[in-house]
Amino acid sequence: MTSSIKSRLALMAAATAIGLAAGFSAVTAADLTVARSVDADSLDAQKASTTQSLQITNLIFDTMLTMDKSGSVQPGLASEWSMSPDGKTYRFTIRDGLKCHDGSSFDAAAAKASLDRALSPETNNPNLSAWGPITGSKVDGKALTVSLSEPYGPFASFLTSIQAAFLCPSSFASAEFKPIGTGPFKFVSWTRNDSIQLAANPDYKNANPLIENPGKPHIDKLTFKVIPEAVARMAALRSGEADLVEPSLEEATDLKNDSNFKVYAAELSGQQMLAAFTWKIKPLDNPEIRKAIGMAMNRDAYASIAFEGLVNTANCPVAPNLFSTDEALCASWGVKYDPEGAKAIMEKAGYTKDKPLKVKLLVHKLPGWDQMHQIMQQDLAAINVEAEIETREVAAFFDYMKGVNEKTDGEPAVWTMGMSGVDPDYLTFLWKRPGFVNMGLNAEVDTMLDEQRKLSGEPRAAKIHEIEKYLMENAYAVPLLSPGWGWLMASNAKVEGFKMGFMVSLLFNDVTVSK
Amino acid sequence: MLLLILKRVLTAFATVLAVIVLSGILIHLVPGDPVTAMMAQSVTATPEVMAAMRARLGLDLPVWQQVALYTGHVLQGDLGMTIRGNEPVARLLLQRLPNTFALAVSGLGVALALGIPLGFLAAIKRGRLADTIVMVIAVLGVSVPAFWLGLILIQLFALKLGWLPVAGSGWRNILLPALTLGLTYCALVARMTRSALIEVLSEDYIRTARARGLKEHRVLLVHALRPALISIVTVVGLVFAYLLGGQVIIENVFSWNGIGRLAVQAMLERDYPMIQGFIVVFATSVVVVSMLIDILYGFLDPRMRQR
Repeated sequence: MTSSIKSRLALMAAATAIGLAAGFSAVTAADLTVARSVDADSLDAQKASTTQSLQITNLIFDTMLTMDKSGSVQPGLASEWSMSPDGKTYRFTIRDGLKCHDGSSFDAAAAKASLDRALSPETNNPNLSAWGPITGSKVDGKALTVSLSEPYGPFASFLTSIQAAFLCPSSFASAEFKPIGTGPFKFVSWTRNDSIQLAANPDYKNANPLIENPGKPHIDKLTFKVIPEAVARMAALRSGEADLVEPSLEEATDLKNDSNFKVYAAELSGQQMLAAFTWKIKPLDNPEIRKAIGMAMNRDAYASIAFEGLVNTANCPVAPNLFSTDEALCASWGVKYDPEGAKAIMEKAGYTKDKPLKVKLLVHKLPGWDQMHQIMQQDLAAINVEAEIETREVAAFFDYMKGVNEKTDGEPAVWTMGMSGVDPDYLTFLWKRPGFVNMGLNAEVDTMLDEQRKLSGEPRAAKIHEIEKYLMENAYAVPLLSPGWGWLMASNAKVEGFKMGFMVSLLFNDVTVSK
Repeated sequence: MLLLILKRVLTAFATVLAVIVLSGILIHLVPGDPVTAMMAQSVTATPEVMAAMRARLGLDLPVWQQVALYTGHVLQGDLGMTIRGNEPVARLLLQRLPNTFALAVSGLGVALALGIPLGFLAAIKRGRLADTIVMVIAVLGVSVPAFWLGLILIQLFALKLGWLPVAGSGWRNILLPALTLGLTYCALVARMTRSALIEVLSEDYIRTARARGLKEHRVLLVHALRPALISIVTVVGLVFAYLLGGQVIIENVFSWNGIGRLAVQAMLERDYPMIQGFIVVFATSVVVVSMLIDILYGFLDPRMRQR
């Protein structure tokens, strides 16, 4: 240890001299460095839960199917697929010639092994329930056949998501997990909380319709650095130490107007922000009061002021671009911004300036959201609702909301949340009892949510519209904005072809860096 | 002397044990648990999936049982596995300790190299312009937030001058965080050196030494500095122990991959074994350094050996 200290100190002294003389080496056209605020928590795609982890695993592993900009399902690892008339059996034909990063073949047997692991209770897969009611699978030549106990409409969409990666069996052949997939980038190294290094897969053949490059990514080496401090990340971008970074909201606005930089907003994020209520607690059990609160919310101001015009207002309780989402239709069902009308409703209910309705505004911290909540507080004050903001750190917030949403008396609360996915079925996880943090509603909604899962195509879209209409006409949910977290990236002007896919996945296949 | 060492070792052991038990209880009092933190971004995790996960991780056991189990494992030298990555906590801590240690030593080195001469100068020029300047620097050093100073140094050395990198854990990356820490703590060292020297310089034996005609530099460096070192060693020891606990803010600002950053990430993820592993290391380093200071006192001041 002593010699280590000595050598480090010696290096320090030397570095002072060298540092003064030497500049920084320039990034070559074949390399790209990305700086993010946090590290992945796991590179095991079947165990990872955070977006930051799935952004990396999505580069190493492929999905069985893919999704285009319109939300339609397209081929992926499977060149073709079919569903039986009863909706209980899916058959996926695996593409010929697929190679894992270690040289092994990826075929139907490999796909089955990966699926079995994803469904095994031993895996601790946080997305286990999203895979649906799978009862078994079998290999049939080049095809993998998956059986379900009942029809599951969202199945094909889910198989396009970054949560549904297929791993090569060599990944989990030994006790220690190795990230080996068929994706556009190979895993090279990971120093926790510091950096992840990936290298382009020379054998890659693309099937994702969001990507133009049919083969190997143009860049050779991709490095993800962790720089927690936003100011330091921006310094890294401006100094050339990083090519692509997560900017702060304020910085993104500045960079947008600077020709030396580019700002990317994930329009296909599948993210949706909404306001919800403790509807079991009086007077928020009254839909008219909930509607009045919704009518007071100036979503245009939230988008343009709190989020610097980098997000859009959203009308549906499901994110834009997803299957069946119809913003115009939702607009006809939901509340419209009308503070005068809202105030009249509140006054009719007995809430005046001198005797306002007191509520909590329960929120968790996120850039943009904090300012949105402050504007929201003012909006509510204008209709005689005195909202006290209570901010919690994210894990504590959802734990707290679980308890709050169970209560039937006490102080009423308005609260905000966000969710993301590739299919409107996330309505089921939110609103079917007990629901996410106990926000489930009633038997009628449970039934509708179950029914949509058993349908597909137009009938399913119609059922989802029915559910959305119910949620909005009863003002259980007030859709606010989309997207809203981790959806911004910024690069220097030398970077071309960077894209963001569904669930803020990062797509580097088309990226080139000019010298 | 042997008795003093034995007493200090036993006290140190009991202190670390108490910290493990207390921190174990306190962690469970914080709202949210590892499973909630893990699922915060995943609406697809049903209550059944989360309950099964809690059961597999042993989080459904009563708090006292979880704390007792953990304490038992620590006493056997096992710090457990992380909940997120399922990696040995001890291995992760050991991987990062050299980085934290290097930063602590470098930061302390800068603090001592600047702080002791400045404090010395202020003491011998007491009440004069040099003393005032040093004390203004000291007050500034204590008042300026370390993260702000760090960001200013990044702007200057990385962005404007382009001499040093912004982030990372390589050898070039240590310069800016070490300088930030050094500038922050040199103020404390300078103040302590000044007050300790002023106290010693008013002692009778210093007057006697001067009366005997000893040269001033010999009086100051030989007769005054050594007794003043006792107070300085105390501060230096505590600062070093604190630095070994991981400079959470500095490590974050400079993306320095030490145990401080590991701890912050673990806290956000409610990764109990990782948080407790960090606390064990932090508590142990503070206790061991305090113990070493006590023992060092015995060498510096023979009167301490009698106690």
